[in-house]
Amino acid sequence: MLILSCLFIVWFLYRPIKSGLSDADSNIAINKHRQEELAIDINQGLIDDEQSQVAESEIISTLANELKDSNKDSIAIRPMNWSISIFIFLISLSIALYSQLSPKVLPSSQDLSEPVSMIESIEKLQAFLEENPSDFQALKMMGLAQIGIGNADESIEAFEKAYLINPEDIDLLLQYASAIAATQEGQFDGKSKELIEKAFNLNPLSVQVLYFSGIVAAHEGNLNGAIEFWEKARYLTPVDHPDRNIIEEAIDTVSNLQVK
Amino acid sequence: MLIEVGHFALVLSLVISVLLIVVPSIGLYQNKSSLAQLAKPLVWAQSFWITIAFFVLMSAFLTNDFSVKYVAENSNTQLPILYKASAVWGSHEGSLLLWVFVLSLWTVAVSIFSKRIPSNLINQTLIVLGAISFGFLLFLLFTSNPFERLMMPPIEGRELNPLLQDFGLAVHPPMLYMGYVGLAVPFAFVLSALIRGQLDSTWIRWTRPWTLISWSFLTIGITLGSWWAYYELGWGGWWFWDPVENASFMPWLVATALIHSLSVSEKRGAFKQWTVLLAIGGFSLSLLGTFLVRSGVLTSVHAFATDPTRGLFILIFLFIVIGGSLVLYTWRSSLLQQSNPFSLLSRETGLLINNILLVTAMLSVLLGTLYPLILDSLNLGKISVGAPYFNAVFVPIMIPGVLALAVYPYVRWKKDSALRVFNLLKLEWVCIVLLTLLSWVLITKNIFVLISIALFIWVINHVGALFLRRLKAKSKLSMSFLGMVVAHLGIAVFVLGATVTTQLGIEKDIKMSLGETQTIAGYDFVFNGVSPHSKDNYSGFIGDISVFKNNKIVTQLRPEKRLYQTGMPMTEASIDPSITRDLYVALGESLEEGAWSVRIYYKPLVRWIWLGGLMIALGALLAAVDRRYLMRVKS
Repeated sequence: MLILSCLFIVWFLYRPIKSGLSDADSNIAINKHRQEELAIDINQGLIDDEQSQVAESEIISTLANELKDSNKDSIAIRPMNWSISIFIFLISLSIALYSQLSPKVLPSSQDLSEPVSMIESIEKLQAFLEENPSDFQALKMMGLAQIGIGNADESIEAFEKAYLINPEDIDLLLQYASAIAATQEGQFDGKSKELIEKAFNLNPLSVQVLYFSGIVAAHEGNLNGAIEFWEKARYLTPVDHPDRNIIEEAIDTVSNLQVK
Repeated sequence: MLIEVGHFALVLSLVISVLLIVVPSIGLYQNKSSLAQLAKPLVWAQSFWITIAFFVLMSAFLTNDFSVKYVAENSNTQLPILYKASAVWGSHEGSLLLWVFVLSLWTVAVSIFSKRIPSNLINQTLIVLGAISFGFLLFLLFTSNPFERLMMPPIEGRELNPLLQDFGLAVHPPMLYMGYVGLAVPFAFVLSALIRGQLDSTWIRWTRPWTLISWSFLTIGITLGSWWAYYELGWGGWWFWDPVENASFMPWLVATALIHSLSVSEKRGAFKQWTVLLAIGGFSLSLLGTFLVRSGVLTSVHAFATDPTRGLFILIFLFIVIGGSLVLYTWRSSLLQQSNPFSLLSRETGLLINNILLVTAMLSVLLGTLYPLILDSLNLGKISVGAPYFNAVFVPIMIPGVLALAVYPYVRWKKDSALRVFNLLKLEWVCIVLLTLLSWVLITKNIFVLISIALFIWVINHVGALFLRRLKAKSKLSMSFLGMVVAHLGIAVFVLGATVTTQLGIEKDIKMSLGETQTIAGYDFVFNGVSPHSKDNYSGFIGDISVFKNNKIVTQLRPEKRLYQTGMPMTEASIDPSITRDLYVALGESLEEGAWSVRIYYKPLVRWIWLGGLMIALGALLAAVDRRYLMRVKS
């Protein structure tokens, strides 16, 4: 890409595009045309005779003011010097900028096609986080991966760091709350409850938030409240969506409890 | 690998834009034409790489490459292919890339269609366009990179905002951007003339066709946006005075003033200072619009404060552009002093009145848009400025403008007499008064509708008579004249459509049970029930409503209620369109025992609003291909 760009630009240094019109030629042509238009305006009665003479003299004086002596000869350049300068500038700046902007670790095609184990994922994430300790997405993934292998404390640590970077990410709030609940025998109280309430305030129409809000209500013994949240979640979930079964199951379970 | 190609292409185009600013400038100031002439090849190279970057991002959407953060956040495998392509500009980063891509298209167009323009002017203009492009590429790469990667790509992406999954939204932003960004071209011509100190006839002549074309795109973009809002948002409105709409409307008003001011500067050499200020103002407002829409400041001034990088960048860029341009203007103002005189009653005065009205209207919209933001940022409370303010302030300013646009084409350049104009038009005026009285007796007693009918007749009568006079006199009809006729007729069509639909439209929000009938404006709407319905990436319900008039079936309407994967409910209205009226039905909520809440609208002449918009745009395109812009000049 760099070579192609350099060659393209340098080609025009050796074979420059010919200069077109000069300012004077253009102004003469335009003012001539203005005079023709004035004649048409006179024929169409768009200007009276007396004023047309004033307008004609204005056109002539405008042209006289615009005609400047600008016939300076162009100075020749040394194309080789300029070519080398452009080559160096283009290549060095492009590479420097790209290395600054491009991600340090790229998702390889293997990442996309072959599943890796959770331990491998965590190792990769740790390596990435060493270089990018403030990467929100990576911290979130680390929290998920750690809880996936049962390391609740490490998971909470990663989520807490991510929370400090972006405390308004709904997914993070729910995952963080779940991780805390995992250390409290599945109970959504204290900080985990606060996180879910915060998520609810941010997006009361999210199916996931409604589902978790229902769980919090159920844990508090507010079964009617739980059913209300889940009914809303069910309404917002498309008929053939897999999550719908989970929500319906939760509603059935709590409804049965109420009956008993 | 392809994503890296796209990313690198953007970096390369940024570096080339630096070359575009530096190398031809050296050529122009040291009189080294070989370097100055490098402006065009640099523009072509830059545009080539921007185009590559744009299509690489589009291919990432089409191939569901969720390793790209922007793709993962705005698309998923279930999204229909058209919306995958249009999702490229569905959010911030991609729409900024579209901005840069459109600017590169305009720059290439200027470099190609420039054979009649002096080399030095065109090279300087390309340098200015390169500088604008540099600013936006910098913004794109450092604060809004669309090629940012996710280290662990998700298996499935998120949902594109369902509001954007629509054909109208697939075409509205590119059209609007063509207009927005197109205003950079007249700005670049003006700035080049100021930089060179060559404020002659040439820049004025060549600024006008580019302004007309970009204004035409802006008109189409705004019209498409209004049409989309009408059928997609589910409550039948066509203009909401929303800050985002205002952001595109303000540059439109100033660009309208600019094309009229340019016509005076071009023909009679007057208004040059005014023309320069309008060109700077038009582009500055399009940058202000970008700032308002892209900084987050519209959601809340505090949202801007929590993520200041993007907004601050555009704000600084805005200050550089406006400040730099005004400094240049002040520096060169002595060269703009010469202005040819004209009397109080002349066509020049008419066009000046038009300019003053348009700029006043723009300032009233600007005030209504920015005032709540200023109050909020000073913690003086939250207020909302809506339609009542804009209708009360904007409409009275524009009525004299519509009156003037019909009469002033009859007034002579430089000097005219009121008696001559009166004698010329007295028959038309009698005819207008009679027709308006007839409308009062036969059609409506609604005063607003009557005013709009009078304005419609006023414009049609004057413009039609002018056209017939030219035909009778067997004078050659220039494209510029035809463009003016079509655009002014478009204004009349728009005014009538907008007023009639607002004043005489009927709206009913009702509960309908199975088999129930509701009568609106002589149409019987029979509710046949609702059935489940699902497609690619949503499921929901579809209603069935038969419409009868005089016991004959008119149409079958099928409004939808959709639930997308994000859980966001969407209303899809069903419309029976016609040139005289629209029948519009939107499905509300499910109520008890199979009943549903339904919104039914009767919208007379609503299509005239967009027909008028398209006529205005067509008029501008016709004027842009006038003979004078195609003339051959020998060097």
